[in-house]
Amino acid sequence: MEARRSHSVASRALGPLRESWDDLVRLFAHVPFGVSLLAAWAFLTLIGVIVEQGKDPSFYAAEYAPPLARLIVRLDLGNIYHSPAYLIAIGLILCSMAAATFTKVIPRRIPRLNPVKIDAIPLHARVRIAGDAESVRERLAAFFAARGWQVRKREFGGAEWTFADKNNWARRGVLVAHLGFLIIAIGTTIYWAKGYSGQFAVLSGQTATIPENGATIALHRFAYRIDPIQTKAGTVYQPIDYVSNATVTGKDGLPRDAVIRVNQPYDVDGTLIYQATYGFAIDFRLTRDGRPVPVSDHPLKEGEGFVIPGTSRAIEYTRFVGTIDRATGQPAADPRPNDPGVVVQAFDGDRPAGSALLALGQPVDLGAGYALTAQRYILYSGFQYRYDPGIPVVGLGALILLLGACAAVYFLPARLFVLVRESEPGTSEVGIAATTVKGYEVFEERFDEIVDALRRMQSGPDAANPARAPLLESV
Amino acid sequence: MDPTREHLDQLLLQIGISAYVVAALALFAYFLMRRPLLRTVGIPLAVLGCVAQFAELGARWWMTGVWPLTNLYGSLSLFSAVSAAIFLLFTIRYDLAFVGGFVMTFAAMAFTYGTTWNEGYMPAVPALQSYWIKIHVPIVISAYASFMVAFCVALIYLLKAAAENRYARRRVAAAAAAPAGTPGAASAFTATSPPPFTRDDTPAITAAAGSGDASAQWLAGLPSLAKLDVMQYRIVAVGWPLLALGIITGAMWAKEAWGAYWQWDPKETAALISWIVYAVYIHLHTRPDYRGNVTTWINVIGFLSIVFCYLGVNIFISGLHSYKM
Repeated sequence: MEARRSHSVASRALGPLRESWDDLVRLFAHVPFGVSLLAAWAFLTLIGVIVEQGKDPSFYAAEYAPPLARLIVRLDLGNIYHSPAYLIAIGLILCSMAAATFTKVIPRRIPRLNPVKIDAIPLHARVRIAGDAESVRERLAAFFAARGWQVRKREFGGAEWTFADKNNWARRGVLVAHLGFLIIAIGTTIYWAKGYSGQFAVLSGQTATIPENGATIALHRFAYRIDPIQTKAGTVYQPIDYVSNATVTGKDGLPRDAVIRVNQPYDVDGTLIYQATYGFAIDFRLTRDGRPVPVSDHPLKEGEGFVIPGTSRAIEYTRFVGTIDRATGQPAADPRPNDPGVVVQAFDGDRPAGSALLALGQPVDLGAGYALTAQRYILYSGFQYRYDPGIPVVGLGALILLLGACAAVYFLPARLFVLVRESEPGTSEVGIAATTVKGYEVFEERFDEIVDALRRMQSGPDAANPARAPLLESV
Repeated sequence: MDPTREHLDQLLLQIGISAYVVAALALFAYFLMRRPLLRTVGIPLAVLGCVAQFAELGARWWMTGVWPLTNLYGSLSLFSAVSAAIFLLFTIRYDLAFVGGFVMTFAAMAFTYGTTWNEGYMPAVPALQSYWIKIHVPIVISAYASFMVAFCVALIYLLKAAAENRYARRRVAAAAAAPAGTPGAASAFTATSPPPFTRDDTPAITAAAGSGDASAQWLAGLPSLAKLDVMQYRIVAVGWPLLALGIITGAMWAKEAWGAYWQWDPKETAALISWIVYAVYIHLHTRPDYRGNVTTWINVIGFLSIVFCYLGVNIFISGLHSYKM
């Protein structure tokens, strides 16, 4: 008694909380609310497409009008996919899907077989068929079964109802699709929690290590193939192949030969190594009054540079030029290193102080006794690596999402309610109504066909003619 | 390449474009005049254009050994061929000939614009040398083509819905001008609040057609708004799962080529936006309150997002799918 009283006190105390919770669940399960969240997600994603992501504030200041650049920087729109707003939107969508699934989709999945007011359903008809009620019911059951309908009979208040269902299984489509979405979210979370990725560049003849798993990759040779193709617009130098020949050593310590190409990653202990890019590293030689000045202990890659000792000036290796046009002294279209050179940019402090195209092996005077020579190029290969234990989960989720979406949109679960009454001796009146999960209009033509076929039963036994049955009752 | 083979390619290309243009004209005329002869001319020409285009793509593959969908020309060419094919398939099942003029016009425009990107016969760059290009690209293009056909049906829906509103306003104005108590006034007001489900969902057009209005008679000959809405849904129901499958296969390819199944590349992100817009469409279509006008406008927005995703991103935004040099 005491326990019951305390329970009721607790219920009273929790009443408002419970009501608020129910209100919240109703709100999240409300389709327009879920749709608004989807729209917000789409809008945030669109910002990410239009505004270049992951750039420095200086980039936005240079690219956009000042008020827009300030807006981008202040609202962190340059990193929108990892912003709290974006993550909150996805989180709310997951909550909305869960609420809709548990309050709407699951309870309505398979509706009970209950009698209805036939004339109150928009898709309804009455047909007179020759025969007593029992024989007409049997013929109708055979008629629907021959057309792939699942027929069940129930008695309510002395009246026998016939229920015919089609594609009942597809009612689970929405549930399955929502489940798939949830599984994808779990899969991506697994990557965030346990996965890793990165990139590195290796010069031919050198070795690099993946820090996360200790695997080493020794690059023997990187090769490319670029073919000149004659097109309507002129000669185009089309990349055909990039390939790295390497030796990869994993946890077991055994070196294995690897050929890594674009679209053909190499798997070392579950971490995939991808051929991502390549470039030409340059050995620069700086001299002052003819004497060598040390600038860098390794060949420089594009974007790297060095400070000229004892000055505020710096040199940056900007890009490699495969072929210098001898006639003009300017870069030619052919990217292959036929007559190669490099573009270097000079800085005085942070201020650009001019750029120059240097032919390989030809020294250029920098002033104050300094001379710079781009001595030779060494091909390097750029790799990406990634370990993502969530991929099988994401793949499974994608498959489930797709199956659920197909079930939900391609197939139309429909139910026919049929009530047969003997109207006069030797004739029965068939009342038939149809409901679907996608409204009435989508089934109108099919319903008319069914009713027409029933009317034809009057004149002949059409019931056992399965040839008229559609192969697939789709939407 | 062998000049004879190149000539065959050009011939098929010209047959395709010519057939599309004439089919578009014939089916537009059918849309306006409803003469069965025009439909009888237009549909076979659409079939001819579609077959010629598929043959042209096949011939390119056969002649060069290079999968023809590695550039915007091949992609737009397939887009117009699949658009025509989807239109024809739906025409067989649901009598969609009235929308053919729109579909074939878009197909002809896409094909013609595509030829401006025809650079000749180019081998694929390393990133495109994958079996995934034969799976991912046709699926995505088929999804785009479905959405284009659905968009064309949406245009006709909006045309008829706008006309219905105009005629309904006229009826209300006429009823207000009529002396009180006349039968016309009462019927006008009841007509503005139809029952929840009615087979005639454009009563104002029907009434105007009955009183001899020629435009209303023409509009009354179009399928009902409910049927146009169902038609849009059926076509979007083909495109939406295809787009989902396209995004999934694209992610699988990306994982193989670039090391991550999702890189927030503008193209894949724009495709996600389109998928979300059509997800909104599919969700709202489950609600009777939104089915019709609202879902049709979302269908239009969805197609605009597809145009942005297909052409806008490839041409104007730098990324992994960029056609910019």
